[in-house]
Amino acid sequence: MPTELVVPEAGTRELSYAEAIREGLAQAMQADERVFLFGEDVGVYGGAFGVSGDLFHKFGPERVIDTPISELGIAGAAVGAAITGMKPVLELQFSDFVTLAMEQIVNQAAKIHFMFGGKATVPMVVRLPGGSGTGAAAQHSQSLEAWFAHVPGLKVVQPSTPHDAKGLLLAAIDDPNPVLIFEHKLLYKTKGPVPEEAYRVPIGKAAVRRAGRDLTIVGSSIMAIRAVAAAARLAGENIDAEVIDLRSLRPIDLTTIAASVRKTHRLLIVYEGVKIMGIGAEISAMIAESDAFDFLDAPIARLGGADVPLPYNPVLEKAAVPQEDDIVAAARRLVREGRA
Amino acid sequence: MPIEVILPKVDMDMDDGIITEWKVAPGDRVRQGQILFDIETNKSVMEVESPASGVIRDLAPITGEPVAVGTVVGWIDADAEAGASSAAAAERTRTTSPSAAKADIDHPTSSPEPAASVEAASVAPSDSIRATPLARRAARMLDVNLADVAGSGPAGRIVEKDVAAHAGPAPKSAVASADRLVPFNPVRRIVAQRLAESARSAPHFFVSAHIEMSGLQAALRHPGGQQSPDRARPSMTVALAYLASRVLALHPLLNASIEGEAVRLHPGVNIGVAIDDQGDLFVPVLRDASTHTLYDLAREFARLRAAVRARQIVPDDMRGGTFTISNLGMYGVDAFTAIINPPESAILAIGRTTDTPVGRDGRVVLRPMATFTLSSDHRIVDGVTAARFIADLREAIEHPEGLS
Repeated sequence: MPTELVVPEAGTRELSYAEAIREGLAQAMQADERVFLFGEDVGVYGGAFGVSGDLFHKFGPERVIDTPISELGIAGAAVGAAITGMKPVLELQFSDFVTLAMEQIVNQAAKIHFMFGGKATVPMVVRLPGGSGTGAAAQHSQSLEAWFAHVPGLKVVQPSTPHDAKGLLLAAIDDPNPVLIFEHKLLYKTKGPVPEEAYRVPIGKAAVRRAGRDLTIVGSSIMAIRAVAAAARLAGENIDAEVIDLRSLRPIDLTTIAASVRKTHRLLIVYEGVKIMGIGAEISAMIAESDAFDFLDAPIARLGGADVPLPYNPVLEKAAVPQEDDIVAAARRLVREGRA
Repeated sequence: MPIEVILPKVDMDMDDGIITEWKVAPGDRVRQGQILFDIETNKSVMEVESPASGVIRDLAPITGEPVAVGTVVGWIDADAEAGASSAAAAERTRTTSPSAAKADIDHPTSSPEPAASVEAASVAPSDSIRATPLARRAARMLDVNLADVAGSGPAGRIVEKDVAAHAGPAPKSAVASADRLVPFNPVRRIVAQRLAESARSAPHFFVSAHIEMSGLQAALRHPGGQQSPDRARPSMTVALAYLASRVLALHPLLNASIEGEAVRLHPGVNIGVAIDDQGDLFVPVLRDASTHTLYDLAREFARLRAAVRARQIVPDDMRGGTFTISNLGMYGVDAFTAIINPPESAILAIGRTTDTPVGRDGRVVLRPMATFTLSSDHRIVDGVTAARFIADLREAIEHPEGLS
């Protein structure tokens, strides 16, 4: 039987992923006047994907700020505001545009706490709508989270459910140093149970979405959703898959993955980012280096994005990232044939 | 089954090497991994390990002339047990390069002649078996030789279920049922009898104290009193025996034994020190400890310990103890309680010294602390008696002036 770690509690309603984020933002802004939101079109327009919605009308132009089209400028302003005591939440319209803000995020935000001997903190949150599937082509569809998971001083989370989207956002706002939240564009409209209160989902802790014995499927964001769906189909073939939703890429919950691999003896890692040099390579290496190595009864398998700029053509776009069918086929091959 | 010993390629750009010394002789039994010979290349001298376990034969002579990489320079008749997989590897070697291998078999001590299969032969035999890590682990646990297992995975890879199938229907219970009945050795028999008697008859109670060790540590580092003639530094255990003996002289009920309905008070303090040697417990006695210097005790303890290690300790060295100390700090134990060594009235259990936050002058500071737990026989010793002893012991340890 699938075991959901998220148990609906009293005060839990169905909200969409976008609504859950908006509710988290509103609660954080109500609770702490230092929290403010800014980005391109987050104000009057309500956000490119409608996430900020009516927050501009609720909190006014001082706390929901429309910025010029300059990601480097926004990120720099966020770093400065954070150092001087504010708690900025910054939305980049598409995560792809983070390339323009790299200097401030990687060279400044990530390092200031360390280079000033802990005297300064940078409590900023960067929200990045990422992923493919919307027909937005190669410059608006990437999954760049692994780049940031490589940087000491940054935390990187990737919620898959409305529940986690709100809980990880609030945990990120609490965090004294920079957290990047990679939201998935295809998930904004998905619905799920969300408690009303301002709860936190701990950063660095994975969720076991389904318990199983035959193999472990690790994914995050929409890949965790697809893995759960694939696992339900695999159950019909008598393959009992355990599904781990990473939720955080950095810090990564190696303990949960390794414990699962010790039990199932097979590991399939699914991620939307380009397969080579990606999150899957890191998880694979961590497991091979860990005590779980001795418990592997098949090669570690990775399903990742094709080694191409994402195509505009919708058929090719779909073929370039792992889909539910691909996960089912890879899991079947791993369990039945022992092949990656 | 004979296994080739070849001159391996130990440097990237090495074509040949000179055998400078054989570490084994024909007829010697060797283990896999044992050093067989030294080779000198144009860069360095390297040791070469044995590819298999077995008996050495037909070693190439030391000529001082370079020998080509891959040349067979000796043979090992592999052990039947270790040989199964090695033999399989050798078999494969031969089939991959029939001509070269055959020449070597026909002329085992033939002149330098490069073999075509250097790599195959230099790989340790068991490594050429294709098996998953879990299958290897299962093979280790079930004592299965992977060379005997048929693999069902891709390219004949052995997976866990192949090993389980090979091991039989209920491999786990087979392993689990292998209980062994090991009779007590004489030491264990005495320990078991005495401590069971003590636990049954002496009503034990325990008092503990966390004692700061910095003063004693410093005193041991910079001994102010009498210098050891042999410059040996007394161990912490000996120093504690020394201090305990001084304190015990003031607490006669803790240096006593029970006899029927009377207490025998001992004039001398004989401190037994619990020592483990390969799983056997010994308690040699530092006689009249309170009248000896620290360095005398250190020397005596060294003698006793050596005697235990050599299993030459005589009964007289273990008789007549009036108090015992047991230190498990070196094994990482924080604190423990000990069973009294009868007919004594108390035993002191010492945990490890570890930096611990403690309050000093209204501040939290780190201090090296250790937990001392005194087990006392309540028939002789009351709580307050034990508490007074621990208090004096703390004073002695924390202010070890005049350690000599």
